[in-house]
Amino acid sequence: MTTRDDLFEFAEFDETESEHIAAPRYSYWKSVWKTFIRNKFTVFTAILLIALVAFAMIQPMISGYDPMVAPNINNSSMRFLSPSKEFIFGTDNVCNSVFDAVWSGARNSLFIAFICTFINMVIGIALGAVWGFSKRLDRIMIEVYNVLSNIPFLLLAMILQYIMGAGFKSLIIAMCCTDWIFVAYFIRTHVMIIRDREYNLASKCLGTKTWTMITKNILPYLISVIMTYVSRTIPAYISYEVFLSYMGLGLGAKNASLGKLISQYTSYMNSYPHLFWIPVLILATISISLYIVGQRLSDAADPRTHM
Amino acid sequence: MKGYILKRLLRSLLSILVIITAVFIMVYSLVPRDNIFKNDDTFRKLSAKPDDKTDYIMRTWQNIGYLDYQNMSYYCTGLYGEATDETRACVLAGSKESKEFVDLYESKGYTVKYFINGAPYAYKDLPVISRLASWFGNMIQIDHPWKVKDETNPDLERRLYFGTTPTGGVALKCSGCEYKYQIYTDSRFPFIHQNILTVYLGESYPTYKGLKILDVIFDTQGQEVKKTVTFETGQTGESSIMFGTCRYKSVLDRLDQNKFTDHYASCMYKKATPSMVGISFIMGIFSIIIAYALGLPIGLAMARNKDKLIDKLGMVYIIFIIAVPSLAYIYIFRYLGTTLFGLPSAFPTLGAEDIRSWILPVISLALPSISGLMLWMRRYAVDQMSSDYVKFAKSKGLNQHEIFKNHILKNAIIPIAQGIPASLASCIVGAIITEAIYSVGGMGKMLPDAIKQYNNAMVLALTFMFAGISIISVLLGDLILIWLDPRISLTEKEGRN
Repeated sequence: MTTRDDLFEFAEFDETESEHIAAPRYSYWKSVWKTFIRNKFTVFTAILLIALVAFAMIQPMISGYDPMVAPNINNSSMRFLSPSKEFIFGTDNVCNSVFDAVWSGARNSLFIAFICTFINMVIGIALGAVWGFSKRLDRIMIEVYNVLSNIPFLLLAMILQYIMGAGFKSLIIAMCCTDWIFVAYFIRTHVMIIRDREYNLASKCLGTKTWTMITKNILPYLISVIMTYVSRTIPAYISYEVFLSYMGLGLGAKNASLGKLISQYTSYMNSYPHLFWIPVLILATISISLYIVGQRLSDAADPRTHM
Repeated sequence: MKGYILKRLLRSLLSILVIITAVFIMVYSLVPRDNIFKNDDTFRKLSAKPDDKTDYIMRTWQNIGYLDYQNMSYYCTGLYGEATDETRACVLAGSKESKEFVDLYESKGYTVKYFINGAPYAYKDLPVISRLASWFGNMIQIDHPWKVKDETNPDLERRLYFGTTPTGGVALKCSGCEYKYQIYTDSRFPFIHQNILTVYLGESYPTYKGLKILDVIFDTQGQEVKKTVTFETGQTGESSIMFGTCRYKSVLDRLDQNKFTDHYASCMYKKATPSMVGISFIMGIFSIIIAYALGLPIGLAMARNKDKLIDKLGMVYIIFIIAVPSLAYIYIFRYLGTTLFGLPSAFPTLGAEDIRSWILPVISLALPSISGLMLWMRRYAVDQMSSDYVKFAKSKGLNQHEIFKNHILKNAIIPIAQGIPASLASCIVGAIITEAIYSVGGMGKMLPDAIKQYNNAMVLALTFMFAGISIISVLLGDLILIWLDPRISLTEKEGRN
């Protein structure tokens, strides 16, 4: 058979067509989102979390709760009421509604936990990545770590409270001024573990810049570890605040917080158990949903789960 | 490698210096001094007598180490001796000595002020540098026959000699040293003890007044353990005395004279409950053993059965521990333990000798560590599961068990092993909340209490100890890291490699 030229046509050169790649389109963030909403339980938890946070933001504005004001303090018939229609969570030792106290406390505690996590994570990850990568810097940073991690935290918190008075500012500064070094140290260890792996050696040999190696080779590898850490850190800061309130170094008398409520109501654990359990349950619900959402985000953020 | 460790240890010493300096500055210049008296009953009682109050304030500040305080009674006693007629005349306001006193201390740079009754007093803040120097200078004490300087006992012999201890051991004894038994043997571990080199980190004030800080935290507590002993004079009696710890005592009372032939009568006594460090360490060690023995296998099992029942159950536990503050879950756990198993709710109820007292605190302490280890073991193992070498091992035909045991565990354990020295170190620091809830007399409360009660010497000593321990544990952690994973190197390689 001979080929007949008239059966063929010349095709026009189409630039867009020639650049087209036949593989399915991959967008990282879209895949993260898709993996995240695949699980119904996760979506439910995320909605619950958003609702709780929103309620904690809005409810105190409506109730106008102030721990310094106790209008019914002399009315003994209103002390330690059990949960009822009027007082959903009952009343406490100064005859205030526990419902208002808990949500006002939740707002402050969440605020502190978010701010502290954000500050510590940003500083900690950025420094930790560079610290783990550079052996020369390691020599200095190990000593910085030794110094900062060994200055007694309670002493620092107490001094800040003397200087600035009890309140948000002194508490946040106390929780941030040395805590980032622990994040950085954690990241440093992980960077060290993968910094000398073969693919990084190869990358180094090919002349990749340090900054590119950190941001493109190493940090993406650590995303799951970092997300696990973050989802643990936010509840941890709320617990930390409970501890500080227990030590008498919390937000002070003027501001409500979950930590203060819990440590304050611990003494009523046997006589009026609802006083103790309600703040603990609210705190637990917020922490659990935060943790689950964080874990699922970290799973979804891992590109290996996108296939 | 040896060079690296040595250099790092040397740099650590510098870090400790920086830490101690920072804490010195914090406790001596940033904490307001007046707060010390906020909860002081003696101070409140003195409010009707302003002169005594001023004197009390000054003496307290001097004891805590803020300043050097001088008044007429110190000055006159120095001139004429204690309780003589000249001294009594000298202390009175307007005496000729008070003029000399003012001139003397003004020339030395002291601030001179007057009491309401007219008598002068002088004080001078101690600069941080000189305090620091004396703190480090006194840290290591070497005992020698010329150590004791006692004016009331000029005939004190100065010599070292061999002899025996009242309990039948051999000893290198000393007269004129601070400790009588310099080196001695007894039945207590490690059987040979020495008192030549001792570490001194200051004296405790205002809590545990007058005791050496290391004695406060390293001494046994509680009831004395008595047994029949024969004293140096031949007298026998029931006593818990530990002869090896006997120190020089200047003024002996009748009881001392009945028991001892010389001035070494200030001894320590053996008590039933372990020391603060001891209690915290025992509790910590057992809780760590429980935590690693449970946390690692469960975490690994969770990774192996990812998204199956065991993983979900483990997750529920981890989330519970993370979400509920420790204060709350320790109370819950204590409630369960006391009602279901009849275990004591407080440590002192049955005391340290009864094993039941230890169960609840140890497990409470282990609860968070178990959850942490489960969480991270699972995370690291899951991260390893999707790596290429696991896929390769699978394609070679290895079964799940072999892959986990020989490949995944070895890689996943690396970051966990790095944390082992740090968790051991945290035993010594103690657990604040657990110890408070069970009223355990451990180390946990020491630092917070010292900070709250302005026991500055204690704050410094504890910071120094904890810093030293934690710095060494960080170094050990790094050494474990490179020992387990030879791919990691801590030192920069030479150019030719």
